[in-house]
Formats: sequence, structure tokens, C-alpha cells
Amino acid sequence: MSIINRPGVRESYAFPNWLRTLITVGLRWLPAVLIVVAVVGFWEVYVRIFDVQKWLLPAPSVIAKTIGVDAGLLWGHTLATIEEIVVGFALALVCGFALATAIGLSRTIERALYPFIIASQTIPIIVIAPMLLIWVGYGLAPKVIVVALICFFPIVVNMVDGLKSVDSDVVSLMRTLGANRWAIFLKLQVPTSLPYLFSGLRIAIAFSVIGAVIGEWVGSSEGLGYLMIRSKPQFLTERVFAAIVILSALGVSLFAMVGIVERFALPWWHKEHGSRT
Amino acid sequence: MAISQQHNEAMASQSEQIHETRIIDVVGLGKVFDQNGQPLTVMERVNFHAYEGEFVSIIGPSGCGKSTLLNIIAGLDDQTEGSLKLRGEEASDRLGTVGYMQQKDLLLPWRSVLDNAIFGLELQGVSKREARDRASVLMEQFGLDGFESEYPSALSGGMRQRVAFLRTVLADQQMFLLDEPFGALDALNRSQIHEWLLGLWERLNKTIVMVTHDVDEAIFLSDRVYVMSARPGTMRLVANVDLPRPRYLEMVTSEGFVELKTELLSAIRRESAS
Repeated sequence: MSIINRPGVRESYAFPNWLRTLITVGLRWLPAVLIVVAVVGFWEVYVRIFDVQKWLLPAPSVIAKTIGVDAGLLWGHTLATIEEIVVGFALALVCGFALATAIGLSRTIERALYPFIIASQTIPIIVIAPMLLIWVGYGLAPKVIVVALICFFPIVVNMVDGLKSVDSDVVSLMRTLGANRWAIFLKLQVPTSLPYLFSGLRIAIAFSVIGAVIGEWVGSSEGLGYLMIRSKPQFLTERVFAAIVILSALGVSLFAMVGIVERFALPWWHKEHGSRT
Repeated sequence: MAISQQHNEAMASQSEQIHETRIIDVVGLGKVFDQNGQPLTVMERVNFHAYEGEFVSIIGPSGCGKSTLLNIIAGLDDQTEGSLKLRGEEASDRLGTVGYMQQKDLLLPWRSVLDNAIFGLELQGVSKREARDRASVLMEQFGLDGFESEYPSALSGGMRQRVAFLRTVLADQQMFLLDEPFGALDALNRSQIHEWLLGLWERLNKTIVMVTHDVDEAIFLSDRVYVMSARPGTMRLVANVDLPRPRYLEMVTSEGFVELKTELLSAIRRESAS
């Protein structure tokens, strides 16, 4: 003890750097962890005290055990859902970026397209999803379309706002430096819109999980949504909850991944504003 | 004696010629804006000129149309009456040929200091590599060496303004318009950057037109000072600054300086009162 605390011996000798980072990160997430522990603890105790039936509300310990026992089954369905999310999200990103660019470049296109973009969000997905099965067939396509339909809206709206939020003084400056319309778009509007785009991506990725599940409910043979709809009538409620836990973890992980990509894509933004995740 | 006479005449005509090169020549310029259907005359009958290599300042009360005048010279806007000639020609496509620096530094937060500095060159079609080479050489002169790869958010106000200056200088246009470029800086930073700017201007041999509301600044830097009236703006007074160059900070207490300052201040006060 006295050796470690001797003056001149820096703390880093006692705590290696990686451990220090781990402690810092751990402390940052401590409140979230505490809430989870409290809720799960209360749930577990409640189920045990009142002896609630497993098919009605399974205890967290039972759900955890199910995840362990059914790991192989759950993993296969998780992969199917991830595929739908990734392809649907990518489609939404490409279409959303293209639409936002077109709208940002032309007021006419904006006036022509924006009403339809908003109207697309009023279509009840639950109604349109079964139609998609008839239109594009069974398989991956209808789920991908449902995910993309839900995701592209926040991407377009945020990016269009970003493209429009340029400082008009910078536009003047660029014009006096000889810039044409295209240069102003590429070198000013697009970079300005990127933080807005990433805000849209965060919302979109959170929605994408529920989009995939809805797509699977309507008609599919794999995926976590399919597993839930199959397990419920069999009173395998613990499996439904296991799927919910995995979906939540998936949503949080995907959200965090968008944050990590943003950190690398917009290092200047993080130096100015600090971390958002 | 005769030879000497001839020589003097030659000298005189030569200096006359240099003096005649009005790089900016504004005659009877007026601007009327349409404000909700009502015509709003921002300035009228403005006569203004700048010779090649000259440093000219414009002072006047706020809202007198100083910035409108600069916008028109830069080509961002057009006059509703009068004529504007650059290098003796009507310049309808002047946008991009006149450097314009505003009070805000307008640096792009996602570009490093170096890439902000080369922004003008890049827009003119110079390759990034060549532009960076040209900028790197000037970093030290602008007090920015070691900060090349920093983002603007890490810089002080004075440094950011110098990056904006470097961007303007690198774009290499023959004349620069400066719209209250030091307005955001504190007094200490200002007097330092004044001396630095004069050193730079003497090396560059460019024409500078500066709008300011600081009389000391206008006199210290300029060859000539215009005083503009309240709206509708027009030129009320033009004064030659006869202080020798190079100029030093100590000159602000000299007799000539104080005399001119008194004259200009009373002219401005008359304008503000009316």
C-alpha cells in the first residue's frame, strides 16, 4: 500500500489505462444499469411472491433461461430479422438521400414531391403490408419495403431541413469567390446537412426494428416477429419475451452503431458539441 | 535646367497616369429596395472611387447603405441607377473578381484551418494539393503555423479572422472589400491586427476598400476616408490622410491625426443628428 501511494508514483501504475477507461465508461452508464436492475428485480420478486403463471408473465430468470436453452433457434431468427433491417435501412438511406438531394436542389421538385412524402406516412402499414405480399411476393422483399417505408421519412425530412439551414452569408462569400450553384450545393449544403441527416438516421434505425417485426407478422416463415406470432398461441410466453429482449438489445446496438459511424464521419461536430450517445 | 524641366514634366505626367487608374469608379449610384410594395431608397447619387493600390475607408451611421454599396461593387447585388466601372469598364459579370470579407469570419466548421484557407482557390479550380502548398508557405506570416489541422472551433476570434484574411488573400483578386472586419475583436487585438494588416497590404499591392464605424481605424489605415450620410446614404465628405507610411501606432496622437479625427467626428455627428 505504502509503495503504491508513494509520492511521484503516478496512479496509472496502480490502475492500467484500459481499466481506467472501463471504470469511466462504467460510471457513465451506471444510472441506466441501476434502472434495469431495479425494474428486473421488482419484476422477479413480484412474479415469485404472487406466483404468476409462466404463460401469463414469465419471470426474468425464466426468460434468461429460455434465451440460453433456445439460443440456436433464436439466433437463426435474429439473423433473418437483422437482414431485413439492414437491407431495408440501406434502401431507405439511398432513396432518402436521393429524394432530399432532389428537393434541396429544386423548389419545383419540393412542391411536387413533399405532399406525397408526407402522405406516405399516413398509410397504415398494417393495411399495406398484406397487399405487399400480393404485389411483390413472399420472401425478403415485402419486409424490406415495410422497413424502408418507415425509415425513409425521418431521413428525408431531417436532411431537407439540413440542406436549407445554410448561412446565407456563406453563400454570398462563396459567390464572390466564384462558386456556381453546384459548388454551393456540394461544398456547403451537403456538409451542413450531415449532422441533421444523422439525427434522422437515429430515429430511422429505432423505427426499423418495429418495421421488420410488422413485416414478419403479416406473412413470413422466419425472423423474431414470426417467432413471436408462432409462440403466442402455444402459450410459450417466455419465448415471446425472449424475442422482445433480443429485439430491444438489437435496437440499442443499432442506435449505438449509428452514433459510432457519426463520430468517425463528423469528427468536427463532436469536437464542437461533444458526444451525443 | 531644360532637361530638369522636361524630366519633371515626364514625372508629372507619369504620376498623373498612375493617379488616373481608377480601379473602382462609382458615379451617381443609387439603390431602391422594394419593401412590401413600398420603395425604400437606401442610397442615392453616391460618387466613390479608389485608385489602384489604394486603401480607402468608408465611415457612416449604421443603416446608411455602406454594406449595400459593397454588395453592389462585389457583384452580389445591382444598382437601380448610376454607373459602376471596374478598371474603366462596365463590369456586369464582376462576381468572383472582387474579394469580399465580412465581419463574421464565415469559416466552415468541418474544414481544418488549412482547408478553410484554400477554400477560395479550390472554388477557382486550383487542385487541392497545389492550393495547400501555396497556403502552407503563408501560414507563419499569418500567425497560424502549427494550427493547420485544427478545426476553427479550437481557435480564438483573432486567429479565425486571420484565417479568413488568408482565404481572401490566397484567392488573389485585385481588390478586397472589407466590411467591418475587426468589429468582433477587442481593442488590444485590433491595434495589433491593424499594424499587421498594413504590413500585409504594403507587400501585396492590392486595392482595399474598408467599411468601418471606427474613426481611428479608418484614419490609421487609409489613404482616403469617405464619410457617408444617414439613409438615404450619399457621400458627404472625403478626406485625404496625409500621414506618412509606414505608419506606427504612436501616430494616433500626432497633430495631423487628431486634427483629421476632429473634422471627421464632427461630420459624423452632424449626420447622426440629422
